[in-house]
Amino acid sequence: MPDSASTSPRGHERLLVGSRLTLALGFGSLLLIMALSGLDALRVLQNFRHSEAQIRRQFLYRNHVLNDIRSEVYVSGTYVRDYLLDPETARAEGFRKTLEQVRSQMETALQSYAGQLNPEEAQHYAALKNELARYWDILAPVFKWSAAERRSIGYAFLRDDVFPRRQNMLAIADRIAALNEQQLNAANDQVSGLLADFELRIGVTLLIALVLGLGMAAFSVRRILRLEQQAHAQFLAVAEARSQLQDLSARLVQTQETERKAISRELHDEVGQSLSAVLIELRNLASGLGTRADEHTRSQVDLIKSLVEGTVGVVRNMALLLRPSMLDDLGLVPALRWQAREVSKRTSIDVSVAAETRSEDYPDAYKTCIYRIVQEALNNCERHSHADTVRIRVQEERDRLRLSIQDNGCGFDFEQTKGMGLLGIQERVASLHGTCGVHSSPGGGTLLTVDLPFRSSTMQGETNLGSGGARQENPHPIG
Amino acid sequence: MEAAARDKKIRILLADDHTVVRRGLRLLLEGQPEFSVVAEASDGKQAVDAAQASRPDVVVLDIAMPNLNGIDAAQRILASNPGVAIVVLSMHSDEGYVLRALKAGAKGYLLKDAAEGDLIEAIKTVTRGKTFFSSEITKMLAEDYVREIRARGSEDSYELLTPREREILQLLAEGKSNKDIAGMLNLSLYTVETHRRNLQDKLNVHSFAELILYAVRKGVIS
Repeated sequence: MPDSASTSPRGHERLLVGSRLTLALGFGSLLLIMALSGLDALRVLQNFRHSEAQIRRQFLYRNHVLNDIRSEVYVSGTYVRDYLLDPETARAEGFRKTLEQVRSQMETALQSYAGQLNPEEAQHYAALKNELARYWDILAPVFKWSAAERRSIGYAFLRDDVFPRRQNMLAIADRIAALNEQQLNAANDQVSGLLADFELRIGVTLLIALVLGLGMAAFSVRRILRLEQQAHAQFLAVAEARSQLQDLSARLVQTQETERKAISRELHDEVGQSLSAVLIELRNLASGLGTRADEHTRSQVDLIKSLVEGTVGVVRNMALLLRPSMLDDLGLVPALRWQAREVSKRTSIDVSVAAETRSEDYPDAYKTCIYRIVQEALNNCERHSHADTVRIRVQEERDRLRLSIQDNGCGFDFEQTKGMGLLGIQERVASLHGTCGVHSSPGGGTLLTVDLPFRSSTMQGETNLGSGGARQENPHPIG
Repeated sequence: MEAAARDKKIRILLADDHTVVRRGLRLLLEGQPEFSVVAEASDGKQAVDAAQASRPDVVVLDIAMPNLNGIDAAQRILASNPGVAIVVLSMHSDEGYVLRALKAGAKGYLLKDAAEGDLIEAIKTVTRGKTFFSSEITKMLAEDYVREIRARGSEDSYELLTPREREILQLLAEGKSNKDIAGMLNLSLYTVETHRRNLQDKLNVHSFAELILYAVRKGVIS
């Protein structure tokens, strides 16, 4: 993505929307895959359990039936033997009946086995059935034998016909059992195959989910990082803009001060001095005229003189209003004292200045800052507070300059006042990395405090700059 | 005879960066037969050099001058020539400037647009060893003082002074030394020094310049 698109608000919005869509799709499909594979696993497990149980049940049942058949074959052989070997006819009849019973039971068992027959068994089943049929067929004439016959050929019959047949049938039943077992194994194998398939499927699903998840994670991380980067860049831009703004406002204030100073100097020194010269010339003219001139000329000279005197006053006041020369000539405290006297003279407010300062002079930025704040505060007092006393205190400490201005007025909202106001004061103070506070309470007056730290490098720099600037701009450091 | 008369004339050095002002002042001063303008300077450094070279009795200094301002120039001139009387010309009537000029050792402080009579009288007064201020200055200082006393409701510290201390304050303000005062009042030098210390404590002033300013504000001298 080009930088211009990512930094512009529209580009940023597009990026956000794109991210949301991609994230929704990605996480949605991831969740879907997981849910589907989970359901599939559940289904497979259920099937598996079901078919395993069924296989087991079938196997057990068939095994049971086969065992029945086998034991009945066995038992039938025994009955035949007992019948043949028993001399009593009545007992023999009982055996015959029992044998009939066994036969019908065996047939029922065979019948029920037939219901569960599977193709591989069919052949053996048929063989077993045939063998049984022949077995019974062979046995059938035996019951018609007389006791003597049974005694004479009974044993031979048993040995040559019944036992081999029986053996034969048992072998067939064993084969069927083996087949049954084989089938069980096959079914088990089938189930294992199913499980292996399922394992593979789960593995594949897991792999897909993992890959997709990794992809999503990578994508999200990239997006988040980019958004973070953008936010950071924006933060930096805002911070820079703010610092530029502060810088600009500080420079504006400084430029304004410089301009005021220059104009004030110009007015005071050039215009004022020239007017003073005019006055002197006028006085010389007046004394030169002496008594020779008439009343009219003399009064005209006097009129011009008083006009010029008035103008000198106006020019001087303008210059002082713009920037009092005391600030540059005499320093901060004399300038504050002058300001206090002026306000006291002009209004009914008694303004006093208490100074605990060691240095005669401070860097230009510091004294201008404090002077303008005091000026603003006095203006506000005059206009809003109805105070009759203002106490200004300047304290120099080892690493800072403190100013406090306390009045006994009614208290007022600095924010509401016109002029530079609290915001202007804060900006001036902030440009010197200082702090200021206003404590105003109805009836308790207003206390404005300003705390300007001396920063050794700033102090040095400002001093050098200040004095250098003064030397350049200001040919008359005292006047 | 002629040389003796010339010697009696008050030798004046005129320092101001404005040619027009300087010319006007020279014209004014030379109208007086007992004055002689012996040198002119257009900045502070020139004024110091000219004072060294021409040994004037009175130096009239403008405060606002390039290179070296009038206050600093006054200090240097007095350092090499303590007997010279300095009259400062200023556009400012503020007491901050007056105090600074007094601290530098000036005997007279005049507003630049003061009447021509002021300068002539100022030069005559300071050559007699007294101090001189423009009448506007004394008036203003006195007014400020009265207003402050009234606004603060504080006691006028002048009332705390004994008659003897007031006498000594006046003589000090007029430029007399402790020794002069001891002689005039028939007191020991030690006594005068004690009185002076006491009155400075009472008035809460810390320098001779502040003492003079106080005297002017109180109207003890004019």
